[in-house]
Amino acid sequence: MVNIEGYEILEGLYYSKDWMWIKIEDGKVRIGVTDYAQKQMREIVFAELPSVGAQVRKGEPFGTLESVKAVSDLVSPLTGRVVEVNERASGSPEVINEDPYGEGWLIVIEPANLEEELKTLMNFEQAVEWYKSVIRER
Amino acid sequence: MNMPKRIVIIGGHAAGCDAAAAARLTDREAEIIMLTNERYAGYSRCGLPFVIGGHIKSFQDLIVFPPSYFKMNRIDLRLEANVTNIDVKAKTVEVQYKDGRVERLQYDSLIIATGARAAVPPIKGREKRGIHVLRTIDDGEMIEQSIKDSKSAVVIGAGLIGLELGVALLERGLKTTIVELLPQVLPAMLDKDMADLVQRELEKKGLRIITGRSVDEIVGDDRVSGVSVAGENIPADMVVIATGVRGNVELAQKAGIELGETKLIKVNMRMETNIKDVYACGDCVESINLITKRPVVCQLGTTAVRQARVAGINAAGGYAIFPGVLGASVTRLFDMEIGAVGLTEAAAQRAGIEAVSMSLSGKTRAQYYPGAQPVRVKLIVEKETERIIGAQIIGGEGVAQRINAISFAILKEMSVRELARAETCYAPPVSETWDPMILAAQALLRKLK
Repeated sequence: MVNIEGYEILEGLYYSKDWMWIKIEDGKVRIGVTDYAQKQMREIVFAELPSVGAQVRKGEPFGTLESVKAVSDLVSPLTGRVVEVNERASGSPEVINEDPYGEGWLIVIEPANLEEELKTLMNFEQAVEWYKSVIRER
Repeated sequence: MNMPKRIVIIGGHAAGCDAAAAARLTDREAEIIMLTNERYAGYSRCGLPFVIGGHIKSFQDLIVFPPSYFKMNRIDLRLEANVTNIDVKAKTVEVQYKDGRVERLQYDSLIIATGARAAVPPIKGREKRGIHVLRTIDDGEMIEQSIKDSKSAVVIGAGLIGLELGVALLERGLKTTIVELLPQVLPAMLDKDMADLVQRELEKKGLRIITGRSVDEIVGDDRVSGVSVAGENIPADMVVIATGVRGNVELAQKAGIELGETKLIKVNMRMETNIKDVYACGDCVESINLITKRPVVCQLGTTAVRQARVAGINAAGGYAIFPGVLGASVTRLFDMEIGAVGLTEAAAQRAGIEAVSMSLSGKTRAQYYPGAQPVRVKLIVEKETERIIGAQIIGGEGVAQRINAISFAILKEMSVRELARAETCYAPPVSETWDPMILAAQALLRKLK
């Protein structure tokens, strides 16, 4: 784990430039938002997530997060079919703020084209560099 | 197929950002373009004096909405973009960018959140170097530079910003004098009896405060060396003018948008101007005072964000209303909190309201509990209806929440009789069995008899 000016990036995950992380687990993929994203949103009050069985497409929104002053589309980093949805994240979305990489995960998908699409995501080192540039921008 | 709506927002601070956020929450598809002529957007102006005082590390910490916020919410933020014209017939705005490029942007809804600028009265010598105002981060950085070469300062104006800044300069080790034209400090917020308490406390801390005197001249050659007040030359290596702000209404006015009697943009309860699909919010609009029902100038951050939310929702096709203001405000100067809501006695009198007032002192905790702080509450009531119309509180702690409680009471048209019987919470470390505001209400009732 590295901490860039108060924002945590975790090893072992891949990252999209739409503020998402993915974790590969036995051919399935767990998806959530990064610590940076949840901190930018601040208190998340509403999470709209898809149902099990829904198709998600890389680069397209599969849900939204809402906070008092922000609404952010959840842009899917990969294409696939939703096999698990975090009921806790939709029921008490503050868990996304409290533990974005753990209990605050959003969905698990069965990826359709993991190998190809993974090439478009950032690994840990790349994500650290990218987030550094984003954070420095301010 | 419907094209997504395009919402253009002029202004990138409290009002502009909150309007954008509300518009985005209302319409997930709309194209939202935000234009600001500043280098930064989305920072808290209210925090500027506290950076100068050293309580906040840097001006950058005041940025509440960083660039990534705008990206995440798909708000197209354009910095250093100067809007030069609004054509309400063609529904376009003309923008000049930093690189000189000029663009005409079509809008479906327009939100004018152009804010205000520091008003500088025509004081002789005001063009000298070392004279500042405080409105933007750039202003703050220039003041910061001046502080480094200064041993003394004069602040002109004893409103909220003037006092906050005066305190900050003293905290930074400058010998500081505040000069106020009116006979008291915080004239828009407090009555003189309460203002005098504030002034005495500040003087005890080492600020020199001159009230009821105007500045004759700012003296010095190229650079300021002092300020001449009533024949006395007060040496000053730097001067800050904090005599209030003036709404940026010229662009709107030029476009045929109606101004109200306060010379700020006139809006209806949906924050819509006299021109359809053109909304306005923040320091550039006038508000309705909920007590007098008259237009007032209420250029507070809280007002701006509440108006902005309503403007943003309506501009995006939703429905929301903003009925008016009570002007609840608070600050902290050294270890003293000062808050007010509703009308002062003086303002009530100007509005033709016959008012009765009562002020008394109490403690913020059980009087035997260590650290109990004094707190003074002034309540103002309309004599005829016994309705609470204002309050002013000065104390060591807990002022803001008492002001909030009285703000709700005024909004719900509570009578002083009802407040006198209202229930408050108590435990020795945090409050008294009888809260001073309840005691003030009881005392005022006896006075009404």
